[in-house]
Amino acid sequence: MFKKIILGLLLWVSMTHLMAQNTKFTISGTIRDAKTGEELIGASVVVQELAGIGITCNEYGFYSLTLKSGSYTLKTSFIGYEPITNKVVLDKDLKLDINLSNGAELKEVIVSAKKQDENVTKAQMGVEKLDITEISKIPVLFGEKDVLKTLQLLPGVKSAGEGNSGFYVRGGSADQNLILLDEAPVYNASHLLGFFSTFNSDAIKDVTLIKGNSPAQYGGRLSSVLDVKMNEGNDKNYQVKGGIGLISSRVSVEGPIQKEKSSFLITGRRTYADVFLKLSDQFKDNSLYFYDFNAKANYRINDKNRIFASGYFGRDKLGFGSAFGIDWGNITGTLRWNSILNPKLFSNTSVIYSDYNYNIKVSATGTGFKINSQIQDWNLKQEFQYFPNTENSWRFGFNSIYHTLTPSRFQTDSGSRNPQISRFALENAVYANNTYTFNAKLNIDYGLRLSSYSILGGDTYNIYQNNRKSDSVVLAKGNWGKTYFNFEPRVSVSYKLTDYSSIKLAYSRNTQNLHLLSNSTSTSPTDQWIGNSYNIKPEISDQVGLGYFRNFANNAFEFSAETYYKNMQNQVDYKNGADINSAPDVESELLFGKGRAYGLELYLKKKTGKFTGWLSYTLSRTERQMDGISNNNWYAAKQDRTHDISIVGMYQLTTNWSLAANWVYYTGNAVTFPSGKYNISGKTIYYYTERNGYRMPAYHRMDLSATYEQKRTGRYQSSWNFGVYNAYARENAYTITFKDNPDDPTRTQAVQTALFKTIPSITYNFKF
Amino acid sequence: MKNIFFIIIAIVLFSSCEKVIEIDLNSTAPQIVIEGEMSDQVGIYTVKMSKTVNFSDANNYPPVQGATVTISDNTGLSETLTESAAGIYKTHNLLGVGGRTYTLNVNIAGKIYTAVSVLPTLVPLQAIRIIPSNLLRPGQDTGARFIAIPNYIDPFSIGNCYQFIQTLNGKKDNAFIVFNDNVNNGMPNQRPIFSRDLELKKGDTLTVEMRNIDKTVYDYFYSLNQSSGNGPGGGSTPANPVSNIVGGALGYFSAYSTSKKTVIVQ
Repeated sequence: MFKKIILGLLLWVSMTHLMAQNTKFTISGTIRDAKTGEELIGASVVVQELAGIGITCNEYGFYSLTLKSGSYTLKTSFIGYEPITNKVVLDKDLKLDINLSNGAELKEVIVSAKKQDENVTKAQMGVEKLDITEISKIPVLFGEKDVLKTLQLLPGVKSAGEGNSGFYVRGGSADQNLILLDEAPVYNASHLLGFFSTFNSDAIKDVTLIKGNSPAQYGGRLSSVLDVKMNEGNDKNYQVKGGIGLISSRVSVEGPIQKEKSSFLITGRRTYADVFLKLSDQFKDNSLYFYDFNAKANYRINDKNRIFASGYFGRDKLGFGSAFGIDWGNITGTLRWNSILNPKLFSNTSVIYSDYNYNIKVSATGTGFKINSQIQDWNLKQEFQYFPNTENSWRFGFNSIYHTLTPSRFQTDSGSRNPQISRFALENAVYANNTYTFNAKLNIDYGLRLSSYSILGGDTYNIYQNNRKSDSVVLAKGNWGKTYFNFEPRVSVSYKLTDYSSIKLAYSRNTQNLHLLSNSTSTSPTDQWIGNSYNIKPEISDQVGLGYFRNFANNAFEFSAETYYKNMQNQVDYKNGADINSAPDVESELLFGKGRAYGLELYLKKKTGKFTGWLSYTLSRTERQMDGISNNNWYAAKQDRTHDISIVGMYQLTTNWSLAANWVYYTGNAVTFPSGKYNISGKTIYYYTERNGYRMPAYHRMDLSATYEQKRTGRYQSSWNFGVYNAYARENAYTITFKDNPDDPTRTQAVQTALFKTIPSITYNFKF
Repeated sequence: MKNIFFIIIAIVLFSSCEKVIEIDLNSTAPQIVIEGEMSDQVGIYTVKMSKTVNFSDANNYPPVQGATVTISDNTGLSETLTESAAGIYKTHNLLGVGGRTYTLNVNIAGKIYTAVSVLPTLVPLQAIRIIPSNLLRPGQDTGARFIAIPNYIDPFSIGNCYQFIQTLNGKKDNAFIVFNDNVNNGMPNQRPIFSRDLELKKGDTLTVEMRNIDKTVYDYFYSLNQSSGNGPGGGSTPANPVSNIVGGALGYFSAYSTSKKTVIVQ
């Protein structure tokens, strides 16, 4: 009897053991920086025993791997960090938090990439990730390191103009980029008329740009997603960082609230060009500055739950004596709750607020007027990430945004005939996205997003046909107006040709329900956002992409060639001579049309060694067709640039000194120049034949910088950054104007204005 | 507004530099330009006709000669204009009447151009108010510059448009200044006349002519001002102004009512 029991027990044990052989368990956890406690976005965990099996942690540092029970060696690595291996025996669900040490700690920097060949293996294409440490070395105007300007050096991304942080992606307009700061949309990402971006790079942890073929969790813009994540704040020690530059300074403070449980981060920045203005007699009454703050705090409730609060506040002020003043800025706020529901299921819930507004005030004595406009969002997002097995990972969720759009109105001190009535709208989306590893060679990433945009009551909507008001819809508060629905399928497939190369194919549809109306040839703070209406339909784009990816020399070199074709519907533009500020209904001033863009992007990057850098080349074409412009013919969009070249090189000279240089060249923007002239009431007037039929002169420029890292004394670290913008003083045309020759009134002449010649800069950065 | 931004960018960055450049601009076939005006005042009205020239040519615009030009109104009155000088066509007895619709008809070698303009009922200019301007150029002293506000009361009906022509010490200002009543309909005017090239100083003699113009003429001058753009950062994409001439000519035809006031700046 006893024997039988023993036998039975043995049998049971061995049976369960056998079963266990086939049972799967999940190992999950969070990957952090050992020193600061910051989660490392995109760090990878590879199972060394299983070739090709591994995972990249999500944007909150969370990873989850479901494997058959057994013993494994996990290798965790992240760019700029020393890789770690952990031996695990997986016979039950395990939680393993991994802390990586920064490479800087080990004198000799080993820059080991994320998963070194991720660019080849991942299905997604058209994705650019910026390395924050690189950004600080690349020379920029005024020495103020800037993520948006660094992005412009990548293929398919074009600068909006000299020194400008605005950018165009694959032929899209500036408003077709979804710019997210901790999930909150930023409606105007530039300060000081574009010379600075709203992103203070001291506060930034991760920057990812997706050029059109984005997974289904992103939506709402046609051309790209720029996803910027702020640092969480050091949860182990207090740290102060800052920089002092010629025209701006910044400082950030971070530290634990309760050690390893909660932390905070506050950064601030202000320019002081206006201080110099005050010193000069001529300009003492003018003001021109901006400031911004980022603040963030987080609290770990327990192992599985964590809450975050983050915010941004920025404001630009520009004044011209007491007569003229304009100020504009963004406010964003995000409240987020991360929850690990079970080792395979991760949940993120966010409540997000965004606001952009501008105010112009003119107060000439005895009279005054103002123009203002605002867009305000309340946004609820729920996302689940599910990791059922090593082949699959899922993301699904919904997003609901309540928009309040206050149109631009011209108002005098004595009031306005056209009251400023805000419009309301509800934008919803549900989505699911699956990343599936078919086999060692084939990866697929596909998803579907269903989006809707509903006009909510509170205003009267006019309907225009052939430039005339044909009808109007009076929507009382509380009533629902028209709802637009859109299906947005997305799919990306990668196929590995060899261990070091792959081809990828992608298709995606994107829609856009908010439109930026801009009459200027560059972006300006007074451009206004407007939603869909009975005339304005959602913009739709379909993009296909094909790419070849190849790594060389043991992943030290990365090469890619991508082509794309994009078709855009329901594009919006102003009529010629549109009345922008005082028209009773701006919708009467609009034209609608379509667009197409196609191109080839080549990119070669050297990632390791003393000399790093990249070479990027874009050959592209971007066209628009609007009923009512250029006889309804296709014309080159202003951002159409045939060739666009960027070369970036960084060289670590000694342990203290590093050098960097970049050179850019691009075909001049498409512009409209006169093809004749005539006279009206004694004034020379120019005759135009076609929209954007001419080209600005080609643009090229070289910038240089040198960074000196001072010897560390105790906790105190500092560096000097010396830069030269436009090193060979090329006079690039900012504008070309046509006017009467002042010396010979019987003639006319073309005058080119260049904004900057050589601009030196010096910045002192510190950290303790 | 864009101009103000541009000025600020330019003054702040000091280092901007200008130079005259050569650009190879396309040549085009000469286009017809018609500039027709008539008013509610007794006098001779003129329709000027010329052709465009290429940008690189001298500012000599060939006149259009030998055209048949008539102006008629909605009551059946019609008058044929005579070419008094090359490309300049004049009326004889025609007198504009507020409220009537005038049609300009031009026949140039068999090609017909027409334009319609309603002559608005007069809204009188009551006075010119001179106030110190606080819109100063860098370095200018406060109190050195003045600005004029035309006093008139906009009628209650919507769509009234105005054009202002300033003459300072006998010299006419070339700027095209137009107002509409989108903002202050039915109210006494408060807006000053901003003109970039005109500086009013103490002791100057200023004459302001206020014209009540048709909306199509307002649109013409408004879009003419708007489209004087000049590349990135410099304004909107340039285009030809919205004209009320049908048939493919540049220019405008304006029938207006007018009143004038003169003041000494002090």
